[in-house]
Amino acid sequence: MSEYKGILVIAEQNNNVIHKVSYELLNKAKELAQSLNIPLNCLLLGNDGINAKELNYRGADTVFFMKSEIFLVAEEYLYKQNIVNFINENKPEIVLIGATNFGRSLAPRIAAALETGLTADCTNLKIDEDGHLIQIRPAFSDNILAYIKTAHYPQMATIRYKEFSEAERDLNREINIVELQPYFCNYDKTNIIKTLNDSDVNITEAEIVVATGRGIKKKEDLRMIETLAQKLGGVMGVSRALVDAGMTSSAYQVGYSGNRVKPKIYIACGISGAPQHLAGMKESELIIAINSDPSAPIFSIADYGYVGDIYEIIPNLIRDLD
Amino acid sequence: MDILVLIKEVPDMQKVKFDSEKGVVNRSSAESEINPFDMNALQTAIDLKRKYNATVTVLTMGPPSAEKSLRDAFARGCDHLVLMTDRKFGGSDTYATAKTLASGIKYLEKYDLIVCGEKSVDGDTAQVGAEVAEFLNIPHSYYVEKINNINELEVEVVVESLSSSKQVRKMKLPALIGVTKNINIPKLPTVNRKLESLEVDVKKISLDDLSEYISEIDTGFKGSPTKVSKIIIPHPLERTSQIFKDDYISFKEAIKKEIKKNNIGM
Amino acid sequence: MNSIVKDNLVSIVGEDFVITNISQKTSYLYDEIEHIMRPKADENSIVVKPKDTDEISKIMKYANKIKMPVVVRGGGTGLCGGCIPTKESIILSTERLKKIVEIDEDNMVAVLEAGVTLFELLEELDKHEGVGFPVHPGDEGAQMGGMAATNAGGARAVKHGVMRKHIQGMEVVLPSGEIMELGGKLIKNNAGYNLMQLIIGSEGTLAIVTKIILKIYPKDKYSATIIAPFKHFNDASNAVMEILKSGVTPLAVEYQDKHLFVETAKMLGTEWQAKQGNADLMIIISEKTEDLLYATCKQINDICQKNNSYETLFAGKKSEQDELLLIRSQHYEYIKDIIGHSFDTAVPVASIPAYLNELKELAKEYNTFTNITAHIADGNIHSDIVLVDGKMPPYAEELKDKIFKTCFKYNGTITGEHGVGKLRIDDLKLQKSEVELNLMKSIKKVFDPNNILNPGTVLDM
Repeated sequence: MSEYKGILVIAEQNNNVIHKVSYELLNKAKELAQSLNIPLNCLLLGNDGINAKELNYRGADTVFFMKSEIFLVAEEYLYKQNIVNFINENKPEIVLIGATNFGRSLAPRIAAALETGLTADCTNLKIDEDGHLIQIRPAFSDNILAYIKTAHYPQMATIRYKEFSEAERDLNREINIVELQPYFCNYDKTNIIKTLNDSDVNITEAEIVVATGRGIKKKEDLRMIETLAQKLGGVMGVSRALVDAGMTSSAYQVGYSGNRVKPKIYIACGISGAPQHLAGMKESELIIAINSDPSAPIFSIADYGYVGDIYEIIPNLIRDLD
Repeated sequence: MDILVLIKEVPDMQKVKFDSEKGVVNRSSAESEINPFDMNALQTAIDLKRKYNATVTVLTMGPPSAEKSLRDAFARGCDHLVLMTDRKFGGSDTYATAKTLASGIKYLEKYDLIVCGEKSVDGDTAQVGAEVAEFLNIPHSYYVEKINNINELEVEVVVESLSSSKQVRKMKLPALIGVTKNINIPKLPTVNRKLESLEVDVKKISLDDLSEYISEIDTGFKGSPTKVSKIIIPHPLERTSQIFKDDYISFKEAIKKEIKKNNIGM
Repeated sequence: MNSIVKDNLVSIVGEDFVITNISQKTSYLYDEIEHIMRPKADENSIVVKPKDTDEISKIMKYANKIKMPVVVRGGGTGLCGGCIPTKESIILSTERLKKIVEIDEDNMVAVLEAGVTLFELLEELDKHEGVGFPVHPGDEGAQMGGMAATNAGGARAVKHGVMRKHIQGMEVVLPSGEIMELGGKLIKNNAGYNLMQLIIGSEGTLAIVTKIILKIYPKDKYSATIIAPFKHFNDASNAVMEILKSGVTPLAVEYQDKHLFVETAKMLGTEWQAKQGNADLMIIISEKTEDLLYATCKQINDICQKNNSYETLFAGKKSEQDELLLIRSQHYEYIKDIIGHSFDTAVPVASIPAYLNELKELAKEYNTFTNITAHIADGNIHSDIVLVDGKMPPYAEELKDKIFKTCFKYNGTITGEHGVGKLRIDDLKLQKSEVELNLMKSIKKVFDPNNILNPGTVLDM
């Protein structure tokens, strides 16, 4: 397998702006590349005007910049075809992709086309004594951590967003950008007719999340949670039960099947703390729980807890936290 | 129109127990059920069946006991049940699973649209659908929250938050879609149909049936490029819990201090 | 509250477990009774949280000496104001009596302190493969002592009866402070008067329950919920009677006016899937084997269809059944702001159709309507008087009298499961003879000569 060499990070861009997950991947990849003493390259598919140099500043030895306006639209097949061709020509031993929605949709197609394995949603990566990649990922709703190795090359993994900190920016690093033309520009089976603005809630970026769950009795009462969140400059979050019940959109959902959040302060109001929910928020820096049931599991991971009725406490907090 | 739904049988996650001391997952107390995310895929197909007079076939790969989940799918309104079961399929990772499923789909021949759920609650990988699409060389869309319309030639879908925007896409058929939980509310079966489902035929496919499409080395443990080398059941994060009851004032002050310390908001 | 009382209580339970501060006390003053009906609590009351039977005994001895009323408070989930201290009282919270003493699988009993909640019991039983406890009054925050003292019921009474049936033994503290053990793990016990059964359902007026020995049962492994929609209520009701006669015993059979199912589901952000019909039954069944479950299902389905039901729906997954139950139990949230008086009458099962028709006719007579929710297979009906412009209408008392008279006509009772509490003391006089009421009063005097235990509850003394 000596023909495979180096680490390749596939950078992601949205509307020609590089996604932060790319810098996080570079940070981890740099560590792996140093321990294996191999080059760290980055493949960016985007259009003119994108700041490809930034990827060099963040640690990529060479940035392969495949330039075309076709990449302004996120469509898996064309991305896959071009990436697969690049990989077949360049033969990296490790390929890392961000586990964003697009990354999760794209990576399996690449892996299947390359006839190799793929480990999804890794939270850590290590190198074993033989120089193989150990891919560590949670499964069973985050209740277990599996250590996985891939017998084929390249060894491919997608990595969770916000799992690693971004690589530091070093303006002294050498700029080394290789511009490429896409191998394929046409795919007639998928046609993206239009793109629509998504809801602008971005719970994963919020510094304070005020979340609620089954303790809320009806849809209208969510307003009280929103009010508290706004007052603190945060965003509302909800447990899966409320999304399942149609009370609000999944954009607000915290949990293993929703958004994973890591805010500075997480306030759980009327959330008992099912494992599914804890999986999405347990890494928050500070956890505050309010629940009428003193035996609720959420208290076991809370820094501060209050045993009481949220319908009494939240209005008081709205009044007092000024 | 022929619609194929891919489902997975998973343990009821509320009941699975994890022992962090011994590092084992105990599924024995947990009943098996259809992966909750696949319920939305089934409902999508059933809704299309009612609207476009389509035929719905449900396909799963698993042990013989997975028949139970297929019968549940029939009760909810699906027409044909197919179980891919063979000891040699055992130990498949996502790559081998997708390859085996794709060969089963080729064997079944007839399909216009393949529907799957967003991901499974046990593996949580969300990659089998796209890999199946790749092996069948058909287009796919994940995170489908709505099907605008479908005819013999193409399907138009709305895809949620891909690359920070929604998309309206048209795909030529055959195509594969992965649907989100927002696409519908799964409906209950009728009692009559539930009772009927206990007697209905389940078609079984073994490796021998697939000799034209896949060989033994491409499925099961042997056909899996990824191997789990170990499993750890992590201890929950320890926190210095300070729990208040009745004393609202102290609780409020504690929160105020933390917010000030973090210098955020307000 | 006088500071000497406080000091004496502190000397028994310690500084940390006596509350006098009003903001901390508020959550101990009321139960879940409708706001418009609830009696005013005396805010001078003092909250005390003993840790065990001994401390309770000491508190009672002291209270009896100074003749200070004591109101026992469990989970606070009651619906008739039973634990509201209407006079200046010592509120004795059992929240710290949390010990699950033992789960004895050989004798199939659980020995529990009074403050153990239903939730905690079920959670503990979950660790014991195949063992369960069936009585479920709806709110799992209810405490064992309270469930015993109020003889709690709930939807599953059809198959399992009410709390009374499941208690084998008790430890109680009398108003004098004496501690008494009643019953035990044994099954047959015919020695003398059964004082335990007298205390069950006495709503905290005779003794304080500190420990109970509860029967536990092998759990039915398989369960399902059937939704059977009918065009006419009478068809639904006939189906229920036929089901009961057929020999299958459902866990619960719930009826609720269609608009309650539909609107509660909408309030919860989901939808009620039975679109046809005006009268829906929710039939919950549980069996030991899967085959038995489906056989029961078929039998019930056949009976429903014979009685002209529309297509019945099946929920077998736990999550699906939980959602249906949530819609059933949350209807109260949907109506609570529009109802004044809410009733808990019960009549013999066969009289339900006639009784319900009369209830609806009565409402019409006053140009109003009523929301009906019924544990239909055990004859227990929840109906209400709807507020007019947010206020209790002037005809409320008159209508209430007529409702009770109708109920008595069918040999019914004013309360099937909620109890008398402080809400229905006067109503009880309509149902019970003077002889019976006087006997009850005499019994109360024997247990509690100074009338310190929850005065103004059940009986007017």
